[in-house]
Order: sequence, then structure tokens, then C-alpha cells
Amino acid sequence: MNLTPEQQELGRRNFLRVLSGTPALAALGVAAAVKGPVRGGPVRLGFIGLGGQGRVLLEQTDPRYAEVVALCDINPLQLQKADASLVKASRQAVKHYADWKEMIEKERLEGVVIASPLFTHTDVAVGCMEAGLHVLCEKMMGIDDASCRRMADAARRTGRVLEIGHQRYYNPIYQASYEGIVKAGLLGEVYHARLVWHRNGNWRRKAELPSADYDAARWGYPSFDHLINWRLYKQYSRGHMAELASHMVAITDWFFGAAATAAVGCGGVFRFKDGREVPDHSYVTLEYPGGRNALFTSIESNAFDNYYEAYYGTNGTLILRGEVEAYLFEEGAALGAAKPTGVAVAPRNGPAGSASESRSADAAGAGKGVGAASGGGDRLAAYRLEVSGFCAAIRTGAALKCGPERALASARACIAGFDAIETKTRVEIKA
Amino acid sequence: MDLILNRSQQTALVVLRTLIGWHFLYEGFAKILWPAWSRDGSPLARFSSASYLRASSGPFADLFRGLADLSFLPWLDQLMAWSLLLVGLGLMLGLFTQLACAAAVALLALFYLSWLPTRGVYEPGAEGNYLLVNKNLIEAAAVGVVFFFRTGRIAGLDLLRGRERARPMRPVAEATR
Repeated sequence: MNLTPEQQELGRRNFLRVLSGTPALAALGVAAAVKGPVRGGPVRLGFIGLGGQGRVLLEQTDPRYAEVVALCDINPLQLQKADASLVKASRQAVKHYADWKEMIEKERLEGVVIASPLFTHTDVAVGCMEAGLHVLCEKMMGIDDASCRRMADAARRTGRVLEIGHQRYYNPIYQASYEGIVKAGLLGEVYHARLVWHRNGNWRRKAELPSADYDAARWGYPSFDHLINWRLYKQYSRGHMAELASHMVAITDWFFGAAATAAVGCGGVFRFKDGREVPDHSYVTLEYPGGRNALFTSIESNAFDNYYEAYYGTNGTLILRGEVEAYLFEEGAALGAAKPTGVAVAPRNGPAGSASESRSADAAGAGKGVGAASGGGDRLAAYRLEVSGFCAAIRTGAALKCGPERALASARACIAGFDAIETKTRVEIKA
Repeated sequence: MDLILNRSQQTALVVLRTLIGWHFLYEGFAKILWPAWSRDGSPLARFSSASYLRASSGPFADLFRGLADLSFLPWLDQLMAWSLLLVGLGLMLGLFTQLACAAAVALLALFYLSWLPTRGVYEPGAEGNYLLVNKNLIEAAAVGVVFFFRTGRIAGLDLLRGRERARPMRPVAEATR
């Protein structure tokens, strides 16, 4: 085809005239795709595991963000309590399941919140992701290194959202501490952190049998005691390291900007010799690059210290206590000369005064009260923000605060810590 | 007699039409999209004109407030959203331009009458102080300009339709050649 330059110019001009508005439409369409809203209502969620922690997450699910579609637990009494939680929040009771596979097959779900025992996390989370569901899984990620890696691999392979429930990442006090103090370098060089979770009580729980003919063996437990007290047995649990330390180690990784490289530990069952297998006293030092370390201790014989994380820097000390209080002390200043943080001291009988299995009972029972009384944070807000953040990540692709990589690093450190206590050796955490 | 405009004047009219078109298109698009999520992760509830209608002001306020309680209001909302979207598309692409302009004026007249600014002071929901003339009225006037200058003849998909192509609007240079 031979066109004169004039013809070409005329043809080009005609083309552009006909397409008037279309380039603008395309440009603005791109703007809308980047900045405009993303289609979709509340995320349709199913809950797997409705023990204390699962119910806290259920109660803190904001209906603007998520619609609770179904609940699943092998213990019918937990489901009844969950229903009561929904009714209390003026929400409708939803369908119950005992088998999570049946639930995800029969219900039209987009995501699940998993708060089942630690040893089940991997199978349930991977199964759900492979079924196309997004997963918010309670901490710790998995019971061992291979399980955690399986979960991370499944998230990568399926492209599903996998968030691990380290709520401190969503706690405004921790965020403010990181942004305003740690990241700003106010602490100077931090070589040592103290992670303390001390309680005075028996971790063993007593629970009512759901019915006279309830058979725990159906779910793989040799007895109902094992089902209720799974945290005390090694085949299901990693004890303090999984249930308590993992939260604190995750935050320490964040504040240090690094993952632990080795663990040294000691501990054992010293007070409650009732057949449990996990230590009731745990002492673990985690080594970080650059000569830094974090010392975690958890005892079940004295609650004076309650629970806190302390970061000791060359210029200052940051203490985060009970998830609702923060203190900053200038190094070298007169004793007690704390820089104001806007967060006051909570009552002595703080949330960790009792020996709950983790923080669920603390959060549900005392969180808001303590926060309100001290003028400090609302611990439950972190749970609320976590579930909402998970839903936002599903809908808009918003970044996760504790995705697989972060969770994997802290889980590996805690698993190494548990192994260090068990083997009484220094356990290296290989990359 | 065809109106003779220079290229800048023609371009200005098409730009005006495109901007008004985008305003309509996005208003409709967003309403159809809801319930949705903003990019920062906040949920947006399903669109409903009920609160807008209940807050109507001016001499026709009672009429519009009555619409807020109609059982088929959700259908009206959808109709409104799709109307906005189609009018916007028409104006942006220059397709059925005259019809799109007429519909745009009708919609803007509805919006103007439902919130007719007769008080001359700031009212909740408004972003400024208006007396009789507000942005809806000005936009309607702008659409009127686009309508009467028959901008579908200058640029747009209407040029592919026989009727508009039969009466092309020439630029000044060509017309006086």
C-alpha cells in the first residue's frame, strides 16, 4: 500500500478523531485500577478451632470486613460457646461442622481462620490453600521446620494469602515503638533483649466431656485429656516456645531486622510432675547476627514479672509490657527518669497473672479493662486489626504484616529453642 | 449553516466533553462496583441513594424524601448507576453524543432539583456555599454547550455513524481554503 505523507497524516488524524476520549478513558481506567475501589463485599470466612483463641478471633471479626459463614470444631461444647459469642454480638448463629474438610467442601468460603492445636496447623492450612482458600492461621506456624516450610511452599504455589496470627504486629503500641523508637534509632545499638512470660499456676486444664459417649479417639487423641491438654504433650505441642515465646520472638525479629541463628536452652518439668511432657520452666537464649541475643524465660512458679519484652540499647531501654504499656528509659539518666510515652502503668494484677494456655483468656478477660484503666492500648484491637488486615489482603492485595516468611523465621527459632531444651545442646538454625 | 471553529476551539469542546464524560462514568462505575474495598483496605458499603434523598432540600424536598422509602429503591439505584455509566461512556467516546448529552442534562436536573440551593448558606453534604447556582447547574450548562456544538461531529465514534459523518465540521483553515 502506497500512501503519500499527506494521506498518512490525514489517516492518522482521522483515526485519532474517531478514537477521541478513548486514550483518556484508558488512562483514567488505569488510574481507577490502581487507585479506585476493588469489587467485593465482606470476605466469607469459616472458622476452624473455636477454643479460647478461636473465639477471641471470632468475636473480633468486624462484620464490615468479614462474614462468618460456618464454624468447625471437634468439640461441640466449643461450638456452643462460639454461638453464644455470635449471639452476644447480635449476629446470627451459623452452621456447625466437626470436619473441616466437609466444611470447606460444602460452604462457599473465601478464607478460613485456623485456631486448632499446633500439630494440625499444617495439614489444615495446606489443605485449605490447595482448595483455593486464603488462610489466617494462629501462631505458631507449624510444629516443626518441615511443617512450616510446607505451609510457606503451599502459599507460594497456590498464590493464596497466608497470614500467621502474631497479633503484636497489629498492636498500635508495637507499631509506634518500631516506627518512633526502634527504626528512629533512639535505642542506639541493641545487643540484648529480655523476653519474659512468667506465670504462677498449672497450665493443665479441666474440661467437661461434651457427652458421655464422646470419643476423642475418633480425632486421633488417645484420651479426652490429650484433646484438652494438647499443649502439654510433645506430639501436639512445642510448649512455652510455641504458645508464648513465638509472639515475642516474632517481634524481636522485627525490631532486630534479623532472624535468630542459634538457640541455647535449659529447662524441664520441675513443678507439675503430672505426666506432662513439655517444660513448665523454659530458659532459652537466641543468638542473632552481630553479637545480639534475646533471652526468653517462662516459669510457672512466680508471676511477679508478668510478661514483657525489653530491648536494651546503648542509648536507651524500651520495655513493652503486657501488650498495653510501653516505657522508654534514657540510658545514663537518673533511675526512673522515663521519657513519657503516653502510655501509663497498668495495675499490678495484669493480664498474665493467671496461667492461661496462651493469651486468649487474657485478651478476652482483661484486655480492654486493663487498657482502659491505664489509658493505654486496647489489646483486643490488635486481634480486630489482624482479622481485618487479613480480609483487606484478600480483597486488595494489601501487604501482610506477618506473612509466611516472617512467621517461618520466628517459628524456626522457637522450634530450635525447644529442641535446645530437649537436647541440652546449642542448636544452629541453618538458613 | 455549519459552524466553523478553529482547531483549538474544537479541541477545547472535545476535552470538555471528555472530562464531563469521565465524571459521569466514574460516578456510575463506583456505584456499580460497591460493595467494594478502597485500596487502603477499607470496606465500602453497597451504594444506596436513601441517605442522599432523605437529606434533600429545596422546594421539591418532600418529593425526593418520599423516594427514599420506596421498596424498589435498590432497583432505582442500579438504574441510576448504569445510566451514569452509559452517559459517561457516550460522552467520552463520542458515541450517540447528542443522546448522551440530553440524558446527562436530565440527570443533572434531577440532582439539582433534589438539592436546590435556596438558603444561600453552607449545608451539610455540600462542599461550598451556594445560592441557586451550584456545580450541578454549571455542569448541566457545560453539557448544554457540548450538546449545541454537536461535538460528535468533531471527534468520536459518531464519526463512524453515517448521520454525523455526512455533515462534518470543518476546521477554519479547511473551510476557508
